[in-house]
Amino acid sequence: MSLTQALNSALSGLQVTQANIAMVAANVANADTPGYTRKVVNQVATGAQTSIGVRVSDIQRQLDLYVQKQLRTENAGASYADTRARMYSQLQDIYGQPGATTSLESSYNSFTSSLQALSTSPDDPSARSSVINSAQLLAQQLNQLSDSVQSLRANAELGISDAVNQANTAMSQIASLNQQIAASTPGDSATATLQDQRDYYIDQLSKLMDINVVPGDSGQVSVFTNSGIQLVGTTAGTLSFNAVGTITPSAQWNADPTKSGVGTITLVPPDGSPIDMIADHAIRSGTIAAYVQMRDQDLVQAQNQLDALAAGMSQALSDKTTQGTATPPGPSNGFDVDVGNLLTGNQVTINYTDTATNTPHTITLVRVDDPSVLPLPNATTATPNDTVVGIDFSAGMASVAAQVNAALGGAGMTASNPSGTTLEVLDDGSGTTVVNSVSKTATMTSTTAGSAEFPLFTDGANPYTGAITGVGAQIVGLAGRIAVNPAVAADPSTLVVYQPGTPAGDGTRPDFIYQQLTSTSLTFPSSTGIGTASSPFIGSLPVYLRQVLSQQGEAATAASNLQQGQDVVLNSLQQRFNDSSGVNVDQEMANLLTLQNSYGANARVLSAVKDMFDTLINMAAA
Amino acid sequence: MSVSSIGAQAQLAIQEITTMRSQFDDLQRQLSTGQKSATYAGLGIDRGVTVSLNSQLSAISGFDNTIQNVMNRVNLMNTALGNMIDITSTVKSAMVQANGVNDGNGALVAQQTAQSSLDELIGLLNSQAGSRYLFSGRATDQPAVETLDHILNGDGAKAGLKQLIAERTQADLGTNGLGRLVISSPTANSVSVAEDAVSPFGFKLASITSNVTGAVVSAPSGSPPSMGIDFSAAAPNPGDTVTLRFNLPDGTSENLTLTATNNSPPGANQFTIDPNPATTASNFQTALNTAIGNLANTSLTAASAVTASNDFFNADASNPPQRVAGPPFDSATSMVAGTTANTVIWYTGETGTDPARSTATARIDPSLVVSYGARANEDAIRNLMQNVATLAAVQISPSNPNGVALSSALDQRLTINLSSPGGQTIQDIETDLASAQTSMNDAKTRHQQATSTLSDFLQQIDGVSNEDVGAQLLTLQTRMQASMQVTSMLFQTSLVNYLK
Repeated sequence: MSLTQALNSALSGLQVTQANIAMVAANVANADTPGYTRKVVNQVATGAQTSIGVRVSDIQRQLDLYVQKQLRTENAGASYADTRARMYSQLQDIYGQPGATTSLESSYNSFTSSLQALSTSPDDPSARSSVINSAQLLAQQLNQLSDSVQSLRANAELGISDAVNQANTAMSQIASLNQQIAASTPGDSATATLQDQRDYYIDQLSKLMDINVVPGDSGQVSVFTNSGIQLVGTTAGTLSFNAVGTITPSAQWNADPTKSGVGTITLVPPDGSPIDMIADHAIRSGTIAAYVQMRDQDLVQAQNQLDALAAGMSQALSDKTTQGTATPPGPSNGFDVDVGNLLTGNQVTINYTDTATNTPHTITLVRVDDPSVLPLPNATTATPNDTVVGIDFSAGMASVAAQVNAALGGAGMTASNPSGTTLEVLDDGSGTTVVNSVSKTATMTSTTAGSAEFPLFTDGANPYTGAITGVGAQIVGLAGRIAVNPAVAADPSTLVVYQPGTPAGDGTRPDFIYQQLTSTSLTFPSSTGIGTASSPFIGSLPVYLRQVLSQQGEAATAASNLQQGQDVVLNSLQQRFNDSSGVNVDQEMANLLTLQNSYGANARVLSAVKDMFDTLINMAAA
Repeated sequence: MSVSSIGAQAQLAIQEITTMRSQFDDLQRQLSTGQKSATYAGLGIDRGVTVSLNSQLSAISGFDNTIQNVMNRVNLMNTALGNMIDITSTVKSAMVQANGVNDGNGALVAQQTAQSSLDELIGLLNSQAGSRYLFSGRATDQPAVETLDHILNGDGAKAGLKQLIAERTQADLGTNGLGRLVISSPTANSVSVAEDAVSPFGFKLASITSNVTGAVVSAPSGSPPSMGIDFSAAAPNPGDTVTLRFNLPDGTSENLTLTATNNSPPGANQFTIDPNPATTASNFQTALNTAIGNLANTSLTAASAVTASNDFFNADASNPPQRVAGPPFDSATSMVAGTTANTVIWYTGETGTDPARSTATARIDPSLVVSYGARANEDAIRNLMQNVATLAAVQISPSNPNGVALSSALDQRLTINLSSPGGQTIQDIETDLASAQTSMNDAKTRHQQATSTLSDFLQQIDGVSNEDVGAQLLTLQTRMQASMQVTSMLFQTSLVNYLK
């Protein structure tokens, strides 16, 4: 009976319309829910014999997969850029406002100004104490900067720890949602919601690291890092991070867990053995990579820059270079140098010419007292093109001469210990080598040794000699420990008195300090990121300071520019994604109008069918 | 850019507004601080230049402070040196006046002038700029010279100038007051004058000449040297002369001329002629004794004081003064170095062999150093000190019969020495300081120009122009208002508001 068929059709229309209205309600309600994608109800016509109705076929998520994939890639990049820009901006803050009294350059300038005043009035007690005060301020500022850099590294360490926890949560959620989706009916609204949730967690994970999402069977997805390590399959891997509580300049990452001073990220995959994600460079972008980059490179470099400044200030004043004395002419010629006052880390420099090729060469001998650090790499000194040989002084002069002799043998020179603590370097008499000069550079530890050089700045209470020991190089973290020599602070007259009986108005030492700290050129190590190993930065301390501030400012600007660029890309992608996948309330409202009409029409059909049945029944009664 | 509707998704619009808001805050900060940026990053590509500029400006301000400081010191030194020149002329004119008055009181007045001048001189040499002594070389924390009392009268066990002069006078005059000469008559007809010993003291024989017919003179010879005259074959006529020439310890020489006369008794510097050569010789010897005694009490005493004073002042802590080896002093034959324990060292500042100017240097420019140090024992100042102190130290009693002659002999020597012939003068020191002053004035002018140029440059990099920021603020304000207005309109024009 066709009236009944019409009734059924209208009824199914009402049901589908209701489902659609419910969907509109759901969309509008979730318009602000994170990760919610707009859903539409798909409907199909149903036919049985001559009757045609309509039913809901499935609930479809409005998703632009291409944009989603791009968005996830950019998520990682944007978080990476964001995190670095944020940390760099914090790092910029610690250098102070340009020209402000609290900035590092101002501290340095006021120190040199106080030296100018001392130079003019060496006898003036207030000029002397003003030099001590401004030197202490400068030292304290370096200490503070160093602490701030290390606390930023500690922040990065905590940041990694937090990010790893978030990543673990996201990964385990993705895995569990994977299972739920596999178990649920495809096309179901519940399934769509689960997919939304899973996408949400994947998005979260994509901010933390660069990931690649691969769809699998029965609606499941697998998550890999871009480097190809699987994070989530049917089950999730677990990241672990052994955060270190206290970060010091010497605490640096090392692939060898026994030597590493900071935490490393280990992935325990669902199956298989643990992977060190930092050693494998498995995480290349996202928040985690940004923190690792800051902790292990950018901030370490910032610390190196401060350390090199501290070492430069210290050594420029305390290191005295003495030329060796030429030996009497003979079959072999060379120089005698007294190595008695060399401290660990101090150097003897041998310049010689290879007569066959007429090439000048330099060998730098470095005193070490801890044989475990031998042999030393050539990069030990900032000077390029020199051959560095560590000489163990712990076994006496005979052993020293023997070691030097062994080191020089290949270069056509001999070394011996004629007497006392004298080291004699001679050519071997064959004429293949000419020894041009032998000099030593020793750290002065006394304030009244008769020369202008003296230790104004010390490493805590110890002299800074550039020592290299089993626990590392003395320069590491020096900025955090540099102090005004307690002996000088206790007796400011040592700023002037360089030997017993120096008159109070003698400007020799004040002039020397001023010259050394403002004009004398020093060579800075390439670990500062300024200059390279083969062509190190050579300049005075103020020029170096300029380079440091300039380089840091540039790096911060670059990080901030990258972040702004990434933000624009990410936002426009997000916009596109939202346009296609998000809920547009206007659109929903417009749909609602259509659905109301549709509902009214279906109801009108029902009402018409009822009228026709009434007419039919009345006819039968009449 | 696609225009999108407003909802929770209108991130770009919201982000734009927040960005503008933070720009607004930053512009406000710029207005209130006058600084373009609070970090080096925000200064742009020239950030490194600002570091250099700040460092240069700081150095220049340091140099300027130095110049101001040093200028004060040099001015004080110039004033002191000017006063020293005045003292030189005051003392000179006091001596001229003293010689005009032909009695012992003239010497007394000159001596008083010398004392007060010496007092003033010591005050000038110990003048300070702040707590810095200006004439002590590098020992700027120590006075340059001892006090007047210590210099003249000594300090406890340490002998002063007066004592050194007294000792030297004894040594020069000898026991018999004849200037360490022995006058004898080796034969009846001859007279011999000999030094009593080989010593640096007393008269030194230079020559003997005579126009007495037949008299035989023997030039100084032997050790100790002696010279003489033999009247055996002589027939002196009145008016004939015998001239003996002596060298004095201060390098001057004196001629002693005895004239033959028939008068008896003879006048001053005369000897009576007698037919008997032995009596003539005896008369000659008597006259010689008196004449040498007088010369010893006048010229030799003056020369002795000048020499002792030279020894006293030509010394410092590492080279203490030469003193007469004694007691006894009147028979001493050598000098001995004093010690800092037994002799006052007048100069208490720093000593050194380098030029005095280099004892204080000031860097007034990255590449320019001026030297402005001074030591009170520089030749010119020491010479002034020495001569004024000698005049103050030599006591000439008004009752001394030789007083006028002694005063004249002394004044003559001191006047010549005060003119420091050929040596460094105080004007030379002033010239050195003036050239330092000129350099400093030039540097100061350069610094002013450099400061203004560098500050302008710095301002261009890290400063802001209020007009600029104001204009930017206005533009930004307009943009923000428009943007917010539009955003608000978009939020209102939701279909939800129109469905009834």
